Amino acid sequence: MSSESSKKRKPKVIRSDGAPAEGKRTRSDTEQEGKYYSEEAEVDLRDPGRDYELYKYTCQELQRLMAEIQDLKSRGGKDAAVEIEDRRIQSCVHFMTLKKLNRLAHIRLKKGRDQTHEAKQKVDAYHLQLQNLLYEVMHLQKEITKCLEFKSKHEEIDLVSLEEFYKEAPPDISKAEVTMGDPHQQTLARLDWELEQRKRLAEKYRECLSNKEKILKEIEVKKEYLSSLQPRLNSIMQASLPVQEYLFMPFDQAHKQYETARHLPPPLYVLFVQATAYGQACDKTLSVAIEGSVDEAKALFKPPEDSQDDESDSDAEEEQTTKRRRPTLGVQLDDKRKEMLKRHPLSVLLDLKCKGLAPLSLGHLLTPRSAASCSHVGVWQADAPLPTKIFCSARSQLVLTWKQQWEEDWHIQGLDHRKLSVNGGFAHQWERALPPPDGHFCVEPRAWPVFSMQSFPSSSDLLSPDSVLSCLYPGDHGKKTPNPANQYQFDKVGILTLRDYVLDLGHPYLWVQKLGGLHFPKEQPQHTVIADHSQSASHMETTMKLLKTRVQSRLALHKQFASLEHGIVPVTSDCHYLFPAKVVSRLVKWVTIAHEDYTELHFTKDIVEAGLAGDTNLYYMALVERGTAKLQAAVVLNPGYSSIPPIFQLCLNWKGEKTNNNDDNIRAMESEVNVCYKELCGPRPGHQLLTNQLQRLCVLLDVYLETESHDDSVEGPKEFPQEKMCLRLFRGPSRMKPFKYNHPQGFFSHR
Amino acid sequence: MERAAQQAVPLGQMEVFQALQRLHMTIFSQSVSPCGKFLAAGNNYGQIAIFSLSAALSSEAKEESKKPMVTFQAHDGPVYSMVSTDRHLLSAGDGEVKAWLWAEILKKGCKELWRRQPPYRTSLEVPEINALLLVPKENLLILAGGDCQLHAMDLETGTFMWALRGHTDYIHCLALRERSPEVLSGGEDGAVRLWDLRTAKEVQTIEVYKHEECSRPHNGRWIGCLATDSDWMVCGGGPALTLWHLRSSTPTTVFPMRAPQKHVTFYQDLILSAGQGHCVNQWQLSGELKAQVPGSSPGLLSLSLNQQPAAPECKVLTAAGNSCRVDVFTNLGYRAFSLSF
Repeated sequence: MSSESSKKRKPKVIRSDGAPAEGKRTRSDTEQEGKYYSEEAEVDLRDPGRDYELYKYTCQELQRLMAEIQDLKSRGGKDAAVEIEDRRIQSCVHFMTLKKLNRLAHIRLKKGRDQTHEAKQKVDAYHLQLQNLLYEVMHLQKEITKCLEFKSKHEEIDLVSLEEFYKEAPPDISKAEVTMGDPHQQTLARLDWELEQRKRLAEKYRECLSNKEKILKEIEVKKEYLSSLQPRLNSIMQASLPVQEYLFMPFDQAHKQYETARHLPPPLYVLFVQATAYGQACDKTLSVAIEGSVDEAKALFKPPEDSQDDESDSDAEEEQTTKRRRPTLGVQLDDKRKEMLKRHPLSVLLDLKCKGLAPLSLGHLLTPRSAASCSHVGVWQADAPLPTKIFCSARSQLVLTWKQQWEEDWHIQGLDHRKLSVNGGFAHQWERALPPPDGHFCVEPRAWPVFSMQSFPSSSDLLSPDSVLSCLYPGDHGKKTPNPANQYQFDKVGILTLRDYVLDLGHPYLWVQKLGGLHFPKEQPQHTVIADHSQSASHMETTMKLLKTRVQSRLALHKQFASLEHGIVPVTSDCHYLFPAKVVSRLVKWVTIAHEDYTELHFTKDIVEAGLAGDTNLYYMALVERGTAKLQAAVVLNPGYSSIPPIFQLCLNWKGEKTNNNDDNIRAMESEVNVCYKELCGPRPGHQLLTNQLQRLCVLLDVYLETESHDDSVEGPKEFPQEKMCLRLFRGPSRMKPFKYNHPQGFFSHR
Repeated sequence: MERAAQQAVPLGQMEVFQALQRLHMTIFSQSVSPCGKFLAAGNNYGQIAIFSLSAALSSEAKEESKKPMVTFQAHDGPVYSMVSTDRHLLSAGDGEVKAWLWAEILKKGCKELWRRQPPYRTSLEVPEINALLLVPKENLLILAGGDCQLHAMDLETGTFMWALRGHTDYIHCLALRERSPEVLSGGEDGAVRLWDLRTAKEVQTIEVYKHEECSRPHNGRWIGCLATDSDWMVCGGGPALTLWHLRSSTPTTVFPMRAPQKHVTFYQDLILSAGQGHCVNQWQLSGELKAQVPGSSPGLLSLSLNQQPAAPECKVLTAAGNSCRVDVFTNLGYRAFSLSF
């Protein structure tokens, strides 16, 4: 501020001083010049300290003068005015001095500032330079490290070892005398050698390729020759067919069957192979055949990748359709179910011939009517098969499934009592999972046998496919799916229980799974199952034997039932020793009853509670009469007859109703037929058990009635005079009657 | 419940046979061990099962403890009668009496100690032994059954000392009069006979069926059960269950029970009886029915009161009959649980 004011003033001073100064300058330029710059130059000459002293002194003088002026004024006097004037002049001089000093101070300040600024600029410039230099240093250092860290490509090349190099490389490459000492040259030489070697190998590779092509061409030529051989061989085979037929050597047929068998799904294939093997080795009566369309089966085998694509497409389509046709969701689900339970086009037919059935004695052979109706053949044709693909996300893994099914069909052909042939095919259902990463397939198949046969009135249940095959092994009633994994799939398409579909599909018996080589562990629902030959083989023999005995015993029963319905208990000659010659009680009725009716009978409670009255059993009601006494017998026929005995529960209507609850002897009679059944089996295989039990029941009723103590108080003769020879009438605390028949002597005793 | 039972059907040949055997089982006899903690039961297949009463009655009893701790085949025929001496279990049925050491049975080593057969006269059929009776004072075992005689066996020597003849049909039951050493026997012929053990002679005969008060001709004459207490005797069977005064040979009370009774016993001032029907009947001496306690069997054949002083905690009434179960009554009021073969 002060400097500014001084600047403003300076030109003024210059201008005010200008006009006179011009004139003066012309006179003495140097003087004027010195005068003009005097103050600025003066600054350099003067000592600031002295100026300061001067300033202090001037101020003191001014103060003194002011005080004197005041003093004079206050005193007032004549001479005062003069003195005041004098003093004022002095003060003015002092003021001038002060002014000068002020200007000098300003100039000094400005000068100092200029100097400072100058110095500062110099420092800035130096600083900038320094920074530039530092940056350059850094950059250079970086460059140096980069260079140091550089890696050459040759380091990655796996070079031959040093000794090998010197040993093998030609001297013009190795140049031992140069390279031995210089590692750089040495490396270069080694790289040269590497290149040389690689070039040689490439040459070799090309040679091998051409060699290979040459060999391929040769193979092609030979192949052509072989294929030209095939038609010729075929024509020879064709020509030999009539000869084969003429000589009864069905090589060709067997071969064809094996060809077809390749299209069977694994479980059926296992079944086919094992059954054929078993038939050839052990059982000539078993023959195996494959039925169905091979082409349709071939169509099912598509590469899984394609199918997967299809699936995603159809999935999308499906979504669209569901959007379009919402109300038909139920129909769709129904279709899905149908697809899921579709049968495989191929089926394996097991033909088991049972020969040498013992004809029943007493001429109670089949009546012509029933014989005629037996010859019916029921065949169940498989539906048109289409591979069904269903995504199952139960295990967060895509599972692609084909649902296919085989039908099993049992039919009895040309039934006479000499030869019986039973055909069985198998209904299978199997699923194929997408290959897991390691690339093998999981197969989860199921097999369901299905039987169909015309029922005829007398013993419909007896030979109905349902009951013939049921419980072949204990508890194997085929009402649940053997593969726990199926439950999830059923859930998906809304199948609540398999029971509703068993009629159409057949029963998934466990023994069929085992014949198909499938084993489903019960405790591990997600276990993947693989068709296994050993599994099938271990069960083949027992199952076939069981099937045979089952059918034989059923046929025996069937014959027996025909006469039972006419009130005749057929006793074969080899079982006569079990019964006395005269049996008065007669069987008057033999009818089938329903399971529900059986459980509702008042005298069968014990059996139901003991868990012996399952719904897989067959139930009959027999009525044995003698005079006024009527003995009802409710019979449980286990499907495992005749190894598992029929169970009788009795109710006698004579002088009141007597059951095992209120009469110890009725209880004893039941135990005679139920527990002591082993002596009633007759000759092996014990097909006469049921009839013998019934005959025994008649005998027991005779004994019971004849030994009943006569009431002395009642007049008249006994209704049933004692005809049987008995050692004693009663024995033991529960007063048992002598139910045991002793054969040659013909008397009755206690057990 | 019934549904569940039907679902559990998977039965093979063995299982069905075993189920049928159990279903047709009859338990004829029971006997409590001398220590009072174990119960032996014999069935119609000749098996004897030993149950541990103390285990079944204990507070931490499981289903397992209601099963026999050991079962063994004792006879070929049914085990009709069993008694326990202070060391032995004696069982009889098909004409033979066999002795088993209790100590060995409990160690599950079941080997018969000895067997004896009374001298029978017939040879065609071996007569059964329906009743065993111990006469502790004389160390005698009295056997009776199919050959209509009472055989006395000296337990010391194992010899048969004498036989008492008189019954015309086989003998069902025996009872001992403690004070005057007399034995009562009741048989199929409808007579109750009193025998003096000192003279080995018949003292008295009561032909029950001839008394109109108790005769029931449609049921037969047979006397199935018998019990005495000083001058009193109670017997039943074909005729109605009747209380008799022995000295005057007169029926004093006829108990109104239609079904034939198979076992009767005095208990304090009550008479317990069981027979056809699933109830244990409790009678006042006056003839009033005090209570009928239902059991689990359709018919009962034997009652056993465990009054061994050695095991007061096991003081129970057990009843068995036409089933494989032995009902246990902890007090006379109700059935606590069943032991089962």
